[in-house]
Amino acid sequence: MEKNVLVANNLTFNYEESSEGISDINFSINEGDVILLTGNSGCGKSTLLKCLNGLIPTVTEGELSGELSINGDSYSELKMHQINKIIGSVFQNPRSQFFTENTTAELVFPMENYGYKKADMQKRLEELQGTFGIHQLMNRNIYTLSSGERQMIALSSAVSMNQKILLFDEPSANLDYGNAMLLGKIIKEMRNNGYTIIVADHRFFYLNGIIDKVLFLDKGKLKLYDSEDEFKSSGYDTRSFNIFSLDIPFRKRIDYESVVASMKNVSFKNILEDINLELHKGEVTVLVGPNGAGKTTLAKLLCKTYRPTSGTVDTDELPFFIMQDPDYQLFGTSVINELTLVKNDIESIKNCLDNLGLLPYRHKHPFDLSGGQKQRLQIAMATLCEKTLIIFDEPTSGLDVYSMHSVVKEILKLKINAGVLVISHDYEFIRHVADRVVFLDEGTIKKDFVLTEDSLSDLNNIFKHMQEERCNEKVED
Amino acid sequence: MKSLRLNPIVLILINIIAPSMYIFISGKYLQAFLFVFASMLLILMGRFKSLAVLFIVYFGMMGIYYMTVNNEKLQFIGLFLIVLVQSVPCLALASILVRKYNSAQLLSALETIHIPRVLVIAVTITLKYIPTFKREFSYILESMRLRGISFTWKHPIKSFQYFIVPQLFRCAALAEEVTAAGFVKGIDVPVKRTSYYEERIRVSDAAVLLVFVTGLAGGFLWKRMYL
Repeated sequence: MEKNVLVANNLTFNYEESSEGISDINFSINEGDVILLTGNSGCGKSTLLKCLNGLIPTVTEGELSGELSINGDSYSELKMHQINKIIGSVFQNPRSQFFTENTTAELVFPMENYGYKKADMQKRLEELQGTFGIHQLMNRNIYTLSSGERQMIALSSAVSMNQKILLFDEPSANLDYGNAMLLGKIIKEMRNNGYTIIVADHRFFYLNGIIDKVLFLDKGKLKLYDSEDEFKSSGYDTRSFNIFSLDIPFRKRIDYESVVASMKNVSFKNILEDINLELHKGEVTVLVGPNGAGKTTLAKLLCKTYRPTSGTVDTDELPFFIMQDPDYQLFGTSVINELTLVKNDIESIKNCLDNLGLLPYRHKHPFDLSGGQKQRLQIAMATLCEKTLIIFDEPTSGLDVYSMHSVVKEILKLKINAGVLVISHDYEFIRHVADRVVFLDEGTIKKDFVLTEDSLSDLNNIFKHMQEERCNEKVED
Repeated sequence: MKSLRLNPIVLILINIIAPSMYIFISGKYLQAFLFVFASMLLILMGRFKSLAVLFIVYFGMMGIYYMTVNNEKLQFIGLFLIVLVQSVPCLALASILVRKYNSAQLLSALETIHIPRVLVIAVTITLKYIPTFKREFSYILESMRLRGISFTWKHPIKSFQYFIVPQLFRCAALAEEVTAAGFVKGIDVPVKRTSYYEERIRVSDAAVLLVFVTGLAGGFLWKRMYL
């Protein structure tokens, strides 16, 4: 008989300060299952994950009721350290993932806490290096690693105590397509080795064919699908399982009015080499490429953060740059004040807020908004700034499919008055938004084409190429 | 020459004691002693860049003081700096601690002096915040530049408002994240914590402490003899 490792009975949790809780959650998870936990933003995914790793109620306060048990023991009788010896957590944000700055220190940190002898730590450290192939990453500064490498360290440290159940919180958010597919492959191998894995994510193409059960949350309520096929036929927008089969209309080719930025023979240190690029008003250019290819560096050259080592960068004015983490970009004392810093015209601000559905929140402090609202505020800033070039860095990372569509809509509006450059790994989003695709790999532009029905195979090949590079295997059409 | 390795606990002790000694010992003596002590330590530990920074800041501030001290209009700048300069050697000592050791090493070192676990965790998290803040500081300055809200001394209050308030919000979020990171990795296990980086007290540690204490004792003597 299959063994239930995790069982929830009428699990309910309400936060003290917000209404985003979960209620009446019932499920049981078998040993060796791969579980997808999904739903729209704010549906309660993170809340459920926090219940599973014990952060609720230990760190996050609120009202918890119902029953949750692990390997037959009730959570209420277990201490945090007992739970986390069985369950390992891989968070999305490196700040909440890593306690130290050094890779080796990070891997031994849990073992030190649990009182391992030095010889045992050494042995386990070597095992982990063998299992995850991270020999080259030892004794390095975590913040100098690429996103893919960092993910491997996070994963290794989450199983350093030999945990057999693993929780992933939006693991694909910062990974390029190749690294996401590699993660899918690793999860599959871990399942074969008896691990139970719970992945909370909005995107799940990399889990295609390996999901045993889907926990779908909608406004804090759970809907359970007992197989991947059942979920696929559920009517929820699950198209992203097979991203290459999406049928999305192509943008009409138009004649672009003017050049808003150009780079001529630009090289920068050993990161970028001989970049030639012209960006036009009315055009959305998407910059794709693996983690560490130099995409953000290219954007920063346009923003004059860096000066090119050789070549010239020409922009009419400083572009408006929308960062991935809005928390670094908000300075105002209220939503309205934030926007007056951009353009001091109360009428156009109100119009803009109304269009983006932010008008009811106009007097709130920007930091009191939800993640999605903060992002819309950033878009409001971009709309009002009247700059000729607007740059987005990974605007859809961590967004559900519906929020993604609203970002698409806003970007298409923005391009009427400006040139837009978007850095993205998100295939579905790229298909919706791109007029043109620029593929950056190893510091040079490998491809630069207008996205049409004829050039779609070029885009698909870029993604397949990224997967082949990372996973060391041939991808079939 | 192999650079000196110090047990972080020695540095923690020095960092706690050094600034508080300004209450007991003549400021001039202590300032000079700490400057020499910090310089020697930086040389022995091979941290020449920090040494250069220490020299530039220290002598720069002293230089401005001597240049402005006789000018009635500019005097206030020098007087301001002469107060600040007292903290420069202490900051140099603190920089060694923050830069050279990672939080796991600090945690291990603190465990050896048998202070309560809760305090150890609190200190470690605080220390971890410093490099994080440094990283974030550069993001924020860059972001302000791109937004055209540059930090200007013309409007210090407005500039601080744009800078400090968002930073407080980020601090609160960060505190929760760091706590979570510690808890899922067993920071609350009620057994004696072991260490991968066993930091024993060595002869060199004792020697450095001895020099430090002797120097302070000298300060008390100086006070007796000259004041």
